[in-house]
Amino acid sequence: MNTLIRLIKGELTRLLKYKILPVSLATSVLWIGLFLSVSAREAWDLASLVIFVDVAAMSVLLLGASHHLEKQDGTIRTMMVMPVSLVQIITAKTVASMVLAIESAAITSLALYIIHKITLNYAMLLLFVVISCAAHAAIGFVLSLNSRDFNSMLGLLMAYMFIFMIPSLLFAFKVFDAKYEWLIMISPSHAANHLITSAVTGEYKPGMIIVGCLYLLILAGILFRFVVCPKFKDNAVRG
Amino acid sequence: MVTAFSVRNLYFRYPSSAEDTIKGITFDVYGGEIFGLLGPSGAGKSTTQKILVKLLEDYKGSIEYFGRDLRGMDHSFYEEVGVGFEMPVHFTKLTALENMQFFSGFYKSTTDIRKLMERVGLWEYRDMKVGEYSKGMKVRLNFVRAMLNDPKVLFLDEVTNGLDPANARIIKDMIAEFRNQGGTVFLTTHLMNDVEDLCDRVAFCVDGKLVEISTPRDLKLKYGKREVRVEYRDNKAVKTAVFPLDGIGFNKEFHNLLQTAGIETIHSGETTMEDIFITVTGVKLNEHADQTD
Repeated sequence: MNTLIRLIKGELTRLLKYKILPVSLATSVLWIGLFLSVSAREAWDLASLVIFVDVAAMSVLLLGASHHLEKQDGTIRTMMVMPVSLVQIITAKTVASMVLAIESAAITSLALYIIHKITLNYAMLLLFVVISCAAHAAIGFVLSLNSRDFNSMLGLLMAYMFIFMIPSLLFAFKVFDAKYEWLIMISPSHAANHLITSAVTGEYKPGMIIVGCLYLLILAGILFRFVVCPKFKDNAVRG
Repeated sequence: MVTAFSVRNLYFRYPSSAEDTIKGITFDVYGGEIFGLLGPSGAGKSTTQKILVKLLEDYKGSIEYFGRDLRGMDHSFYEEVGVGFEMPVHFTKLTALENMQFFSGFYKSTTDIRKLMERVGLWEYRDMKVGEYSKGMKVRLNFVRAMLNDPKVLFLDEVTNGLDPANARIIKDMIAEFRNQGGTVFLTTHLMNDVEDLCDRVAFCVDGKLVEISTPRDLKLKYGKREVRVEYRDNKAVKTAVFPLDGIGFNKEFHNLLQTAGIETIHSGETTMEDIFITVTGVKLNEHADQTD
């Protein structure tokens, strides 16, 4: 446990030193600026979208940036010859990615409350952010491990977003009829979007919530177990 | 003598490769020795080292580490092992001391970071970010990191590459001290000075096979010429005479030359590790260095 805590502390320190956390904070400040310029109703509507984008895109992007910076430094290989397990290393990176998403959700929620006096179900929001982030961290790893450098990772992320996030965003803008939502739930992004929107609006569809949570957790488990873990070591060895 | 690593009939093939990179090699690394693995680029040195440090695991054959099957060992193996890579391996935005403190925190037993950094001349630069370090400073810091856990076995890859002679001497002295205190060193390098100064035994790896394993002294005897070459001045010209080493004490012609001519130099036909490398591997060292750098 001490090793895991030390790894997480190291990840968070590096998020700060490598300016990844400040970039994430700056993005959150942009959202605050947006909330200041809109009405309470519009801010409430925007909040779920803002948190969703931070969880599903920003956290993947920042995880990729962190991964490629470490790959460039050669430190991933160093960690592989230390008395720490692969699972501990990946868990620490996933937790660090969750911290970024939670930080963003916390700032967004705080801004909503301070600017528009809007309160949310914070416990539910935290739970859904963590679940969504676990799946998206796994996706972030898959994209990072399959890219040569950060630029090629950006290309893969764009492709992923086009395939999985655009349908979800179109649904949010009511381009698709509500009855097709079950179909779009196959997209991890939409499942995350549905959970976060439920927590922000307080409107829960139990069936969809259960399916969304289970889908994201199972997806995360499969990706970590069968793609991320085997590929991570191989990637570190090749340098 | 204790055997640190016992490697038997080792084969390894990368998943993307059509043929084996390591083709049935067998060797022992004894406890308390400096074992050098030499060979041209792509011969399988790095792959062998990666297998021994458990970075590559899908190999055929057997490897025992102090009598225990290497496959059965978990990550606690690294409590006893220090690995120094040739490539940069530190967080560049963190200071050297922050790096060392971070890495040392994972070991149950650690050595004094300050003493190590002082010894290699980096303590006064401890608060400088590693990204601002010169190549030589990074190489020295790599060595410090490999020594952090006071290891039983040290793996070093091109440990003095990029160092000036004074700093290379410091590192080599530290490696020799480590060996003298009972530590085992597995060294891969293309710098033959390091081999001559450090290695107790060397193995030459060519195309995934070990073609020679011996002590540097025995290799020099095996590949050297048993002769004595004398350069002397005859009138104003410099001439050379070569005599067989065997029976030199009774060679009248040799003795006569020593007594009558103005001798300029006398050399035995002992060869260098560089010549042995070229003979055994068929690759010139500068070509090899160009490939590895």
